[in-house]
Amino acid sequence: MSELLDIDDLHLEFDTYDGVVKVLAGVNLKMRRGDVLGLVGETGCGKSMTALSVPRLIPMPPGRITAGRVTFDGEDILSKSESEMETFRARHVGMIFQDPVTNLNPLFTIREQLVDAVLYQRQGGQKTPGRWRGFLPSVKQMRKEAHERAVELIRLTGIPDGDKRIYDYPHQFSGGMRQRVLIAMALAGDPDLLIADEPTTALDVTIQAQILRLIRSLVAQLGLTVLLITHNLGVVARSCERVAVMYAGRVVEDSPVRDLFHNPKHPYTRGLMAAVPQKDVNRGGLHGIPGIIPNLINPPPGCRFNPRCEHVMGICRESVPPAIEVGAQHSASCFLYGQDA
Amino acid sequence: MNHLLEVRDLRKFFPVHGGLLNRKVADFRAVDGVSFALQEGKTLGLVGESGSGKTTIGKCILRLMEPSAGQIFYDGGDITHLKQRDLRRLRSEIQMIYQAPAASLNGRMTVGQIIGEPLWIHERLKGDAARERVLELMNVVGLKDEHYYRYPHEFSGGQQQRIGIARALAVQPRLIVLDEPTSALDVSVQAQILNLLQDLQDQFDLTYLFISHDLGVVRYMCDEVALLYLGKIVEVAATEVIFEDPKHPYTQALISAIPEPDPDMRGGEIIIRGDLSHAFPQRGCPFAPRCHAEKLATCESVPPPLLEVEGAHLVACHLHPPLSAAEPA
Repeated sequence: MSELLDIDDLHLEFDTYDGVVKVLAGVNLKMRRGDVLGLVGETGCGKSMTALSVPRLIPMPPGRITAGRVTFDGEDILSKSESEMETFRARHVGMIFQDPVTNLNPLFTIREQLVDAVLYQRQGGQKTPGRWRGFLPSVKQMRKEAHERAVELIRLTGIPDGDKRIYDYPHQFSGGMRQRVLIAMALAGDPDLLIADEPTTALDVTIQAQILRLIRSLVAQLGLTVLLITHNLGVVARSCERVAVMYAGRVVEDSPVRDLFHNPKHPYTRGLMAAVPQKDVNRGGLHGIPGIIPNLINPPPGCRFNPRCEHVMGICRESVPPAIEVGAQHSASCFLYGQDA
Repeated sequence: MNHLLEVRDLRKFFPVHGGLLNRKVADFRAVDGVSFALQEGKTLGLVGESGSGKTTIGKCILRLMEPSAGQIFYDGGDITHLKQRDLRRLRSEIQMIYQAPAASLNGRMTVGQIIGEPLWIHERLKGDAARERVLELMNVVGLKDEHYYRYPHEFSGGQQQRIGIARALAVQPRLIVLDEPTSALDVSVQAQILNLLQDLQDQFDLTYLFISHDLGVVRYMCDEVALLYLGKIVEVAATEVIFEDPKHPYTQALISAIPEPDPDMRGGEIIIRGDLSHAFPQRGCPFAPRCHAEKLATCESVPPPLLEVEGAHLVACHLHPPLSAAEPA
């Protein structure tokens, strides 16, 4: 089966006053239709940038893609024009973000914003007829259908009394409910891919459980493909089928979820697991990873994890480890598993 | 038993203004009758979701906020109504570490000045003597000597939190209120800070009041846990007891909702409906509108008192009869 999304050796840089920040240095990621992939990593590892490169939402300049390809459903994304991208975003990709407050306009009701989203996506990202033209029968019909779709979406995301609450303003909704509204908006155009960037980080744990369950039920109902970005390994364990672990601009390990948690291979992944307070860890049993995330203006040569790695070898400081097969569909970019590939 | 800190029936209400003349129309009950005690050298976890009143309790204990009612005892003495002059002495005994390390450090002061300021205020220490103490403190929390003249923005989040910890330790406190000390940090750094806090506790015989919403962290750090819901304690017990045998339906739901990093544990969670809302009527159990457990007639009408159901295990729920009322086995 061919891939829905194929990110191949993506390099991304940002120009800053301090120098060129090498944000992504050869990211490889493949997703099939129906995949639920977790992209995990700590602050600044490039997980959001990787995801944003798919709908091409990275500001350029200062951003610059220096190498690599992004292919979506057989189409080359990076060579599209801006107006083709508008259509592409409207038809194929839905996004939800961490902070549900800043992503809703406080001056418009949920209904207005949802109807806008539906119309935008129906029009394939092209200009939608303004409300002032509502007297035209064709526009009237279009807006009526959009309203019905909006109510349907609101029901789909499990907001109680959705057909009434749709007339409320964002401030009348709690954090969890706002996140449901954003999910409804992202789904308005039946996207092939849903990118969820830390969707539950701002929410309480009981609400987080509700939202994760909603995403999983949508995957089952609609056959969505989801790219879930998170820093929380627990969220990944609970919701994803496959995991890619990122460190300092590269994917260091890519594996089915069970394999990753029971048999982590890359020293960084192992370090990350040992740092999470788990059930049977007693006082003093938690291990942080020594050192800090490298400065990406002058990243360490070779493997970017080498200054913090306890298994570091001479070769780690010289060349970049390739992705090495360490199990069924399980690869790790580490020289511990072979010198060549 | 020696309680370093005891809180009795603490309440903090905030006025809600409204109406034509913007008069006070209601009270927002942020903390509504909370009692607990903390033994010297131990760690008590205060756990709750946002809006449950956990930070307000911490601020009331430091008297950074005046409680509306109730009493706070520190080392046997009532500190609820201490005068300003006596408060200063108290504050060298009780210190606080904040959630956002960047926001709690003055960006125009160097690390040396930040850690040295409490030494001047409380001990009139300055010059070489102060410098020596500051360097010693920096060493204790894992900062290097060359950091002395740097500014907070030059540090990562974890390092900034170390500065905040050193500042709190400067006056040799006995009790530290930790308000979500690691929730702004990445997990590998969080582990470093948690381990540092444990080492410091052993080294200086500190007592911690650990405020957090992360039950995983609380399980790792605390000896005893108190769960808050809408300004009331719903359950208190030793950490192992809370996690092995939670009684209150809210505690059960919260524990089952921790995303454990183990894919085999998927699917067991109890999902509770709705969200935390102060808008519910105050009659009856505050958790009743979201409760997934069997409903009794009294749930909606009588607020459940916090009572002992087993040795040192207190629960506020009508489903669990108190120890004294239970049939002898």
